[in-house]
Amino acid sequence: MNIKISALQFAREVKSGNISAEDFIAKTIEQIKNVDDKLHAFLSLNNDAIEQAKNIDKKIKSGKKVGQCLGMPISIKDNICIKDTKTTCASKMLEDFIAPYDATVITKLKQQDAIFIGKVNLDEFAMGLTTEFSAYGPSKNPWNTDYVPGGSSGGSAVSVSAFECVASLGSDTGGSVRNPASFCSTVGYKPTYGLISRYGLISYANSIEQIGPLTRTVEDAAFMLNLITGIDPYDNTTVDNHGEDYLKDIDSGIEGKKIGIIKEMIGDGIDPSVLSATKDAISKLEGLGATCEEISLDMVKYSVAAYYTITATEAGSNLARYDNLRYGYDFSVEGYEFNSYIEKARKKFGPEVTRRMILGGFVPSAGHAGKYFLKALKVKNKLTRQIDEAFKKFDLLVSPTVPILPFKIGEKIDDPIALFLVDINTVTANLTGKPAISIPYAISNGLPIGIQLIANSMDDKLLLQAAHALEKTVKLPEVPI
Amino acid sequence: MISKKELEHVAKLMRIELDDPTIYSRIEKMIGYFDILDSAGVESEEISFREIPLANLREDKHIPFDEKLIEKLNHYKGTYVRAPKMV
Repeated sequence: MNIKISALQFAREVKSGNISAEDFIAKTIEQIKNVDDKLHAFLSLNNDAIEQAKNIDKKIKSGKKVGQCLGMPISIKDNICIKDTKTTCASKMLEDFIAPYDATVITKLKQQDAIFIGKVNLDEFAMGLTTEFSAYGPSKNPWNTDYVPGGSSGGSAVSVSAFECVASLGSDTGGSVRNPASFCSTVGYKPTYGLISRYGLISYANSIEQIGPLTRTVEDAAFMLNLITGIDPYDNTTVDNHGEDYLKDIDSGIEGKKIGIIKEMIGDGIDPSVLSATKDAISKLEGLGATCEEISLDMVKYSVAAYYTITATEAGSNLARYDNLRYGYDFSVEGYEFNSYIEKARKKFGPEVTRRMILGGFVPSAGHAGKYFLKALKVKNKLTRQIDEAFKKFDLLVSPTVPILPFKIGEKIDDPIALFLVDINTVTANLTGKPAISIPYAISNGLPIGIQLIANSMDDKLLLQAAHALEKTVKLPEVPI
Repeated sequence: MISKKELEHVAKLMRIELDDPTIYSRIEKMIGYFDILDSAGVESEEISFREIPLANLREDKHIPFDEKLIEKLNHYKGTYVRAPKMV
């Protein structure tokens, strides 16, 4: 049986009776057993997956109504709650935390008969872009295991790329879905802010983070969006998409569309092979009937500093709840004074989380807020105005997803600024709430390059149509695992 | 920039024990990078916030949890969270 198929192919094959959900799940588990020792995408596996698949097969055979996922194996980033399942956030702080409820995206996928094959690795509390900050060790890039897979949703990207599932859910705060998608040659989608409920996503920076799918194809990303978007009474930032069907008319193409090339995202520091791939992608977009023209968004230069200032501030607040009283690990309260107990309990946070908590305490503090936090909010505001202005002229914007190729594990871990700058092309979509996608585009020296398209808020359908058109021009080799 | 004293003060307020010898130099580098915001020329810029109408908030009503949520805590007594002594 071929497990190297897309989510939509899987659904068609199961529906037509060519394959059973049970056989596919069994093969997928076999694949995980064969490759995951090397790749370390998974933090935990669903031991009931085969049984769940059998039940779905029974439902199909008896003619009962079955959800659109038909037993599809989906991996879930380990910061999204699945009831009665460990949700660790790749942190020792939550190593024994069992989620008492389902995230809304999980409820929706359960209703569609998805099978959650396992929980996948991330940088601790999603703070990072390589998975090197996971308390359980880094994931490895399936294209070359000496290299980082990107992050923070690195486990999601690895599991899709290495055929350990057919799709995954990650979360994207500053590029955490698109960056690993680019590094591992999968599709990664960051929706318009509010399109997908964050209820049950363990909070890092609420004002900008979004759950998003990582898939093999753009069509699969559209399929996943159809299942998980919409208003949620448990998340009052969700927006009404009026039941939009993102798969319908996905073949519409981009004839006559105007595309802006963001000058600041192809400038200093870009890898020559990434620049060359980006120029090639722009030619392909023009070949598909679009008009491409350079545009300057000068606030992009300040976006990374603004992003880290805002996210650290929100993280400082969100992580204050981890005092080991309401959440945490087994550590007795006996013999401790209140403050020293919490100090000791917080030693379970890894070094990056600790640093960001302290940053988050400092940048909005009295005497410093004007210089850092308030200025960051002003940059966010001006960047949003600039991009809104750009969308009066252009339908879409294009850039490389990441300006450099994947790098070796350990290469940048001691250089926080070098790590910050890996995010330079992705944080703009988060700060401004715009939808963005990374499309696998090229391979250079055996390492993947992704192209990013950005659309205006609620133009997710147009974005998927354009990404699908570009994707069809690309033929990439299979991942060498 | 941040001084060592300021960092220690913030850490104390956040109840974080500093035992990583590299933390100061690393945070200093990060904060140093944030100084780029000074040249963004945004002093006159307004700050806008996302507005959520009260009508969008769900009804504030008690929903009984179908399990004994308190049992999920590490330390509890009856229906109370058990915490270390404050005084």
